[in-house]
Amino acid sequence: MQKNDNISGILKSVSKPGRYIGGEYNSIIKNKADIKCRFAFAFPDTYEIGMSNLGVRILYDVLNKESDIWCERVYAPWPDMIEKMEQYAIPLSSVESGDPVRDFDLIGFSLQYELCYTTALRMLKLSGIPMWSKDRCESDPIIIAGGPCVYNAEPVAEFFDLINVGEGEEVLVEISRLYIEMKEDGSYSREAFLHKAASTIEGVYVPAFYDVSYNDDGTIKEYRPIFDDIPTKIKKRIISDLDKVSYPEKLVMPYIETVHDRIVLEVYRGCIRGCRFCQAGMVYRPIREKSPETLCKAAKCLYENTGYDEISLISLSISDYSKLRELTDGLLEWTDDAHVSLSLPSLRLDSFSEELMEKVTSVRTGGLTFAPEAGTQRLRDVINKNVTEDDLKRTIGIAFRGGKNNVKLYFMSGLPTERDEDIVGIADTAKTVVDCYFALPKTERPKGGVSVTISVACFIPKPFTPFQWEKQDSLEELERKQKLLKESITDRRIRYTYHDAKVSRLEGVLARGDRKLAKAIALAVDEGSIFDAWDEYFDYERWVSVLERSGIDTDFYTTRGYAEDETLPWDIIDAGVTKAYLLRERKKAYAAETTPSCAEHCNGCGANKLGGKNVWCK
Amino acid sequence: MVQVNNNTPIVLRVKFYKKGSLQYISHLDLVRTMMKVIVRAKLPLWYTEGFNPKPKLTFAAPLSIGTESMCEYMDIRLTEKIPTAIAKERLNANMTDEMQATEVYYPGEKLTALKWLAYEITLEIKDATPELAEKINSVLESEELQVFKKTKSGEALVNIKPLIKSASARVAGQRIMISCILSADPSAFLNPEYVIKVLKEKCGILSDDNLLEERYSIMRTNAYKENMTLFS
Ligand code: SF4
Repeated sequence: MQKNDNISGILKSVSKPGRYIGGEYNSIIKNKADIKCRFAFAFPDTYEIGMSNLGVRILYDVLNKESDIWCERVYAPWPDMIEKMEQYAIPLSSVESGDPVRDFDLIGFSLQYELCYTTALRMLKLSGIPMWSKDRCESDPIIIAGGPCVYNAEPVAEFFDLINVGEGEEVLVEISRLYIEMKEDGSYSREAFLHKAASTIEGVYVPAFYDVSYNDDGTIKEYRPIFDDIPTKIKKRIISDLDKVSYPEKLVMPYIETVHDRIVLEVYRGCIRGCRFCQAGMVYRPIREKSPETLCKAAKCLYENTGYDEISLISLSISDYSKLRELTDGLLEWTDDAHVSLSLPSLRLDSFSEELMEKVTSVRTGGLTFAPEAGTQRLRDVINKNVTEDDLKRTIGIAFRGGKNNVKLYFMSGLPTERDEDIVGIADTAKTVVDCYFALPKTERPKGGVSVTISVACFIPKPFTPFQWEKQDSLEELERKQKLLKESITDRRIRYTYHDAKVSRLEGVLARGDRKLAKAIALAVDEGSIFDAWDEYFDYERWVSVLERSGIDTDFYTTRGYAEDETLPWDIIDAGVTKAYLLRERKKAYAAETTPSCAEHCNGCGANKLGGKNVWCK
Repeated sequence: MVQVNNNTPIVLRVKFYKKGSLQYISHLDLVRTMMKVIVRAKLPLWYTEGFNPKPKLTFAAPLSIGTESMCEYMDIRLTEKIPTAIAKERLNANMTDEMQATEVYYPGEKLTALKWLAYEITLEIKDATPELAEKINSVLESEELQVFKKTKSGEALVNIKPLIKSASARVAGQRIMISCILSADPSAFLNPEYVIKVLKEKCGILSDDNLLEERYSIMRTNAYKENMTLFS
């Protein structure tokens, strides 16, 4: 009988059954007899989103290069499927073999955004694995977390046995090797394994090995390791040489349409810019580049093994790549003839040029997206987003003359020092774009009129940024500002969309929280929370209720702001950037003083101590 | 870059099966998948002209989700003739076990000559008795088979009987098998799911209460021209 035969009735009754079938071209099937460690890579969102994640693609490939490790994928089933699985007592299983994930040795969850926490925990429940680390027994798999959320995973720390801090290509293999070794020499027990991993593998955090105590006001007193041989702070792991680290030569080809169904080339890690609100820009430092040769080779190889007709160059700010011209020229040598287009998802206003626009098809055929982030120059200086109105005008001019008439602008509201005039400035900035259009002679204007969309997110003070101590605006204040902006837009060519302030409030709590939140999160899962990032499943009232019943005051984590001398929940992690640097940047923000990029000079953030080849840090 | 195509493309026909788990991917997903398969297979593809050149694929009688097939047909356009054996080998190397080409050839007829399709429907149900097979046969033989069917203007009660060339049920072990030949004409296409729908309504089989024990599968087995000779 084939893998999905027995559940064919169920597959015919759910939406998008193609999510659950596996069997994709390039997916990896191994002979179980050769395998010493079965690793389930779990993505707590839908198949379509998980399949598009670069981290999953990289780590799936790295782990499967080891002949005695088999890494399989697991995604969160959509609620209609979950209902059927619960009705028929079908446990969560992997995509490749269809085996229940509870039978695996290691399960690694990729935590990409805070709103996936409940989905991850629901996946554990569906697998029949206890949700809390302390409730698991010897026969249960080891549950691992990784991904950007682990720079403060404290709210969910007690659900995981082990947390991988930093880049996973080496750590996950080391963890799996240690597991195999201890199983083979008979020294394995959960406790012994976790202890050895925590004490010998850099970047491994075992939350259960750290006692957290609190002051009377609820702030953290200290983290105390329960063993002498484990680190007092967990230093994030980085890959030193990105030209040497393995990059997939093949990609699993989804049958159904996924979010980013194309070749993705990671050009470099880190960011030279230092925007003060941006967590990614801080925690992925130091900046390490790949060489154009490595990238061109990878692109050709991936093209031949996938047949994709689009290559997307990604990194935090692609135009900062020091060898961008060599790279695009190298790719264009063959991509045009092969009918393959290039796309750049992250363009900066100040580095956008006609030359670049000609090279990339997405810019030629799609709409244009830019992120000024704030509506006035003063506030842009505060957040160190070093773009000016002139940059905007120049860029928009190029875009309009290139035939584009559809512009999307990203902003944030609730930023530190923000005043009402900054909010009104967002509307003014959008109006400037419209005016640029009409300033062009009629013959040069793109056809079909002009349309500007402004999309406004609510600012969340993220760990490991210069704004980590800041207050988050209250719900009322965020909603007042949303209304103010709405009223400030008078031109009907400007469309306005904004993030739900309630979602941002919860994100703030989860991003800045401590271990006291775990109880509330578990309760939310028990009462049905899942897919919080999906509008149709986000239930704010339920969250308010479970937080209240768990004795949590959400203001404590959001509108309170954190004191500079307070022990922060994420102080257990060493992300490279030092507190001294973050404080310096915070002071400069208040003085509306900008900081030049790492390309101009080093600002001493501290990330250089992590090492790395082809870095900008000297 | 705009490619100039002075040559008319050469049509290469691929007959392939799509079975097992691949019954759960839609026609659109199949098209997207095949677009990449033909690129990986390094065939001398012909591209459409214009601003955004693409290879062109044409399929006969799109298969709906939940139906397997031993006889799918796809036309690929090439710039030059290549040996069919090589094309077949390369295509198959770039597809998984559940989808493989069985015949590759330069066709003499258009895809539109395909008018009828044969299906084998398997019912895995608790009481797969000769009595039930009888009952199913008497339903299938009735003068009229009214069913709510999607049409261009929404749902409407349609008599599907004229779209059924033949249909008969028999017991095979623990199962009931139904062989039928249904219209594949684009203007009067009958999805075999409607046969299931009629039987659900008229015979009370395949309740949704136990999806693990009561289930069915559909396999497209053969394609015919108007005169009921085999399509190729
Ligand atoms: S050490 Fe200096 S150059 Fe390196 S990332 Fe930090 S600020 Fe930039």
